Amino acid sequence: MKKAVCILLMFLAFLIIYFLQVNFFTWFNIAGVMPNLFVVLILVIGLFAGKNTGISTGIVAGLLIDIFISKKIGVTAITLGLVGFIGALLDKNFSKDSRITLILMVIILTVLYEILNYAINAIIFSYSLELIDFFIKLAIETLFNILITIIFYPLIQKCGYALEENFKETKILTRYF
Amino acid sequence: MYKKKKSGVIGIVVTVIILILLVILSNIKIENLTVVENVFSTIVMPFQNGFTMLKNKISGNDTFFTDLDNLKNENEELKQKNSELEQSLRELEIIKAENTTLKEQMNLKEKYGEYNTVSGYVINRDISNYTGMVVINVGSDDGVQPNMTVIADKGLVGNVVSVTANTAKVQTIVDPASSVSCIISTSKDAFITKGSINGSGREIRATYIPTDAVLVQDTSVETSGLGGIYPKGIHVGTIKEVVNTKNPTDKYATIETAVDFSKLDTVLVILN
Repeated sequence: MKKAVCILLMFLAFLIIYFLQVNFFTWFNIAGVMPNLFVVLILVIGLFAGKNTGISTGIVAGLLIDIFISKKIGVTAITLGLVGFIGALLDKNFSKDSRITLILMVIILTVLYEILNYAINAIIFSYSLELIDFFIKLAIETLFNILITIIFYPLIQKCGYALEENFKETKILTRYF
Repeated sequence: MYKKKKSGVIGIVVTVIILILLVILSNIKIENLTVVENVFSTIVMPFQNGFTMLKNKISGNDTFFTDLDNLKNENEELKQKNSELEQSLRELEIIKAENTTLKEQMNLKEKYGEYNTVSGYVINRDISNYTGMVVINVGSDDGVQPNMTVIADKGLVGNVVSVTANTAKVQTIVDPASSVSCIISTSKDAFITKGSINGSGREIRATYIPTDAVLVQDTSVETSGLGGIYPKGIHVGTIKEVVNTKNPTDKYATIETAVDFSKLDTVLVILN
């Protein structure tokens, strides 16, 4: 029951972020560049709810974005699925209780997600690469994501631990015995 | 513990302020700096008024302020009138906006009367900073098919890439995957324009420019009709900058699109 509520809340978070990305950030932007809150959302889900939930939420969210607006279905689904997977991997090696660690994770995954997305699209649609412009935009987008993560850190932590409680099984840490 | 919590709150507040400042500063135009002027005048005005009143008193020009009761009544009446006028102004603005949209649609139909078209609205925009897609509210039920040309009042928007019964995805000409065969309106020199991620979302790049072509700034560019998607003679934009390279075959130009995609609202899909 609690899991169902959590899934419903995740879907609600997706809808709110989608609405913000399509409407609010088209005018509230830094030099015409919007943040990418989907990366932050899927990272948090992967980090707190585990590998399976992270990957599946990433794929479903990516598919929805692809269906709503993209030219090819699957690119965003693959890259967001990967974000969920890496989020879960990072949980094993780093502490998510520190604000700095979370910010570093957001930086790494925003950069990775956008580079991968741009590279796949460039191959599929034969883009002529504009790397300097791409990296300038990516830097602004990453900065925007960092600022939003700092602002919403308390909320992220709260929601994250609620997710962890419902999705992750309690493990006995044998090394303490 | 309390100190840590307090510093966390301060951190968030500071970040919010930085974010808002960044957004405002990055989007501000230099000519819009009248805001600063307003702030200064707000600070200076009370002092200036005080000094003026004092000066009037000394020079005997204060008869204007004698009949205070009358002035108060007049002020109340004016306030009442002002609120009524504001109300009617709001109503008028709504009607004006509606009128503009309808006019825009009618003008579009008249302007492109030679084509069989269907009009629609932009209902969804791209969430990515690196692509340029929009979704419009007309689909296969309205006769829209993939590869059809989409135009707006000012010029070319792009082409339809996929359709559902009631919506269509449009790849705009600023999308990096988009290529349009164009000609210069005056000299008829042909080249290919490609979408670009640089600039303010209104720039495309002209490539494969013939070595003997003369490109002049502010010259109008239109579709050539080659390529099978876009009809001939649709306005694309104007040449903004010509970049000459060592190798003349690598020469390129930046074109500013006629359509401002951030404000794109009403579009026409050419059906034939």
